Amino acid sequence: MSVVAITRYGGRLSAYVLGIASGAVKIIGVILVIATFNFILVHAAPGDPAQVIAGQSGAADETLLRQVRSAYGLDQPYLVQLASSLKKTLTLDLGYSYRQQRTVLSLLLERLPATLLLTGTAFILSLVLGTALGTIAGTRAGKWSDTFFTIVSLLLYALPVFWLGLMLVLLFSVQLNWLPPFGYVTVGVEMTTWQRIADIAWHMVLPTLSLAAVYLAIYARLMRSSIIEVKQQDFIKTARAKGVTESRIVMHHLLRNAILPVITVAGMQAGGVVGGAVVVETVFAWPGLGRLIYDAVLQRDYPVMQGIFLVMSVVVIGLNLLTEAVYRMVDPRISVRSVT
Amino acid sequence: MTDEPLLAIENLSVALPKGGDRQFAVENVSLAVRRNEIVCLVGESGSGKSITAHAVLRLLPPGLDVAAGAIRFKDMDLARADEGTMRALRGGPISMIFQEPLSALNPLTRVGQQIGEAISTHAGAKLSRAELDARVIDLIAAVGLPDPPALARSYPFQLSGGQRQRIMIAIAMANEPALLLADEPTTALDVTTQKQILGLVRRLQAERGMGVLFITHDFGVVADIADRVVVMRNGCVVEQGTVAEVLRAPKNEYTKALIAAVPGGRPAAMRSHALGSDPLLEARGLNKVFTSRQGAFRPVRRVPAVQDVALTLRPRETVAVVGESGSGKSTLARMIMRLIEPDAGAIDFDGVDFLKLRGVQLRAIRRKVQIVFQDPFAALDPRQKVGEAIARGPITYGTPPVEAIAEAKRLLARVGLKESAYERYPHEFSGGQRQRICIARAIALKPLVLVADEAVSALDVSVQQHILELLAELREEMNMAMLFITHDLRVASEIADRIVVMRCGEIVEQGETQSVFGAPQHAYTRELLEAIPGRSLFGRPHEPSVNICFA
Repeated sequence: MSVVAITRYGGRLSAYVLGIASGAVKIIGVILVIATFNFILVHAAPGDPAQVIAGQSGAADETLLRQVRSAYGLDQPYLVQLASSLKKTLTLDLGYSYRQQRTVLSLLLERLPATLLLTGTAFILSLVLGTALGTIAGTRAGKWSDTFFTIVSLLLYALPVFWLGLMLVLLFSVQLNWLPPFGYVTVGVEMTTWQRIADIAWHMVLPTLSLAAVYLAIYARLMRSSIIEVKQQDFIKTARAKGVTESRIVMHHLLRNAILPVITVAGMQAGGVVGGAVVVETVFAWPGLGRLIYDAVLQRDYPVMQGIFLVMSVVVIGLNLLTEAVYRMVDPRISVRSVT
Repeated sequence: MTDEPLLAIENLSVALPKGGDRQFAVENVSLAVRRNEIVCLVGESGSGKSITAHAVLRLLPPGLDVAAGAIRFKDMDLARADEGTMRALRGGPISMIFQEPLSALNPLTRVGQQIGEAISTHAGAKLSRAELDARVIDLIAAVGLPDPPALARSYPFQLSGGQRQRIMIAIAMANEPALLLADEPTTALDVTTQKQILGLVRRLQAERGMGVLFITHDFGVVADIADRVVVMRNGCVVEQGTVAEVLRAPKNEYTKALIAAVPGGRPAAMRSHALGSDPLLEARGLNKVFTSRQGAFRPVRRVPAVQDVALTLRPRETVAVVGESGSGKSTLARMIMRLIEPDAGAIDFDGVDFLKLRGVQLRAIRRKVQIVFQDPFAALDPRQKVGEAIARGPITYGTPPVEAIAEAKRLLARVGLKESAYERYPHEFSGGQRQRICIARAIALKPLVLVADEAVSALDVSVQQHILELLAELREEMNMAMLFITHDLRVASEIADRIVVMRCGEIVEQGETQSVFGAPQHAYTRELLEAIPGRSLFGRPHEPSVNICFA
């Protein structure tokens, strides 16, 4: 590439902004597709959707069925119904839960922060710790510390989340009585803001660890093999030939190059973390979306399921976009993509 | 030139891990580099030349260690120096450049920062940002790159191979080294770029009075750049002396064989002599544009790879397509095989309109054009037995397996391997042997046209010679035509009946080998011919065409 092309490339920031803009367009597209699936979900449910919905409110006489049909537009043609359903989604009108006697939106807004807190913390913890452990193992490949971390990560990877959660509760709550076994915050105690934050953090330890364990293992394994691969590349030898210290080689050359595959996989696993939250929130009675969807499935609460489906999808897309943005920041080569 | 050696390697041995095919990678090697001279260390792959250079900076691959001997630099023995001392020397008084400039630069860091790191690592006091930037820009200018401030901000992937190698040299020059170790720095570059880089190394060496240990496998490069030559084989030094002594009057048989194997120096016995008259393959108006885009809202970038190219190939003829990387020669070959679909154009092949064929008809004719790729390591499935790799093609086209297997064994013997190779896997063979397997695989389908895409470029000169001879023999035996893609004009001069010179996707000149080499019409062809290394030394009275090009 010529120097002319390089000066033209100067607008890196604008490329970045354009990347985000194209991401936003994708998000809206995906949301519409999800909303369409939501629409199909209601119509694919066994029986008349009106009966399903009316059944949830406790009675199913003809008058109520008619009311429900007209309220949900079920007496309209399918395409009209779909259009109005998509419009409702875009205006954040997610429907009403007869079971909970509340709008789905208010339910979701109440539960979302707890889930975001749990999954976000677990995600970051697994990424940071996994990368660190993988780096240690990779730079010491073949030594005892590598073998040790490899065994630990395999173990974490093999353990089912719910079992690990239960064992952690048995050990740290029942036997040692160090940590609370379930819940989000200690109920019925007057607390200052800081005390409350500390209390929530205290409650978070076990669920976060349970949720993070398996991802931590994945990232550690991936980072280890990536480090071993990058370590053999010529530019590491170049850095050594410059007289750069080993610690600087790891920090400035090895880590940044080796973390690329981890970022890619982390983006793909983000959905898994949100999904894993369903199990962990149930085990630890964590008042988040996971717990809500568990209850909604058992109660066949369709509007809530649809709402959570939508929100979780948006969260996953958001995390993927974030990954892409991070990848763009780390790897300057990514902005050029071949289309043939 | 002073007599006091700057670097003296004395009886150096580097041990290989136990269980290898030999005990030492380098055994009892002694050589010296003085101030203000370039010593070329020459040998084939596996000769230990690279290991010797890496041992000087103690950058040996894991598992290899200096077992005996001394590496004297100034008052130190580098074979025994501690890691701290070595680190102070690396990139300071002794620096090194490598073969592949793309992989030798960190892909995620701006090249200016990579040069700056070399400066700041050895700077006694902390430099201010402005001082560091100024020195980086001076260095980029010193290695002859245009617009240094813009270049400093670019990433390695945005630069050409030659620009990257200049950046590597700038990194090596950052702290005014007394000794430069250059490990095949021009092997991955085109001839014209190679010429420029050799000139740059020569200039910097003379300006700064450096000692240079220059590793190469190419005697042409040796002739252009060396003051003294050290020839290595199987880890041992077999001959050393001044460039005139070694090149003009080699004493050792191995050195003689290596010099004789340099392509372009032999009579044109490998050219085909009984050419058919009607064209076997005729391509007209071939075009291919590759498109890429930089994000959803950016316009699509169009790179014309091949523009309006016409080419004919007669039965038993060898046409060499020569050009630098990016000239479109590989794209042309792949279009002729229909591995890439042309955007426009027509190909008449064996009497049919090749581009119109679909499905069964296309498959039937595909077997008539086969290819041998450049990298014999990547071209074979590592998990498939080599015999199966050869027999699979004919079996797919309906040959009974028993016959195909017998034929595969015969072909293995024909290309110079044992029949027992049938049951073995690719990793058990050397590069040259693998290329023979690839050739056997290609001819198993009895093609009318064999495309050799840089098929000898990755091989050592002596192996290269044998493979070229094999290809020429097979062409005569099997009545094949050959499309020979190469960047090496010396190789082309030996095997081709006709030469096609490509540049930027277009054919700039084509004609009989003798006339293209003897009286090149286009300025670019002349530029390519002038860039051939070793022209000053290799005058071959018995070969008129080549004689002109090397004269």
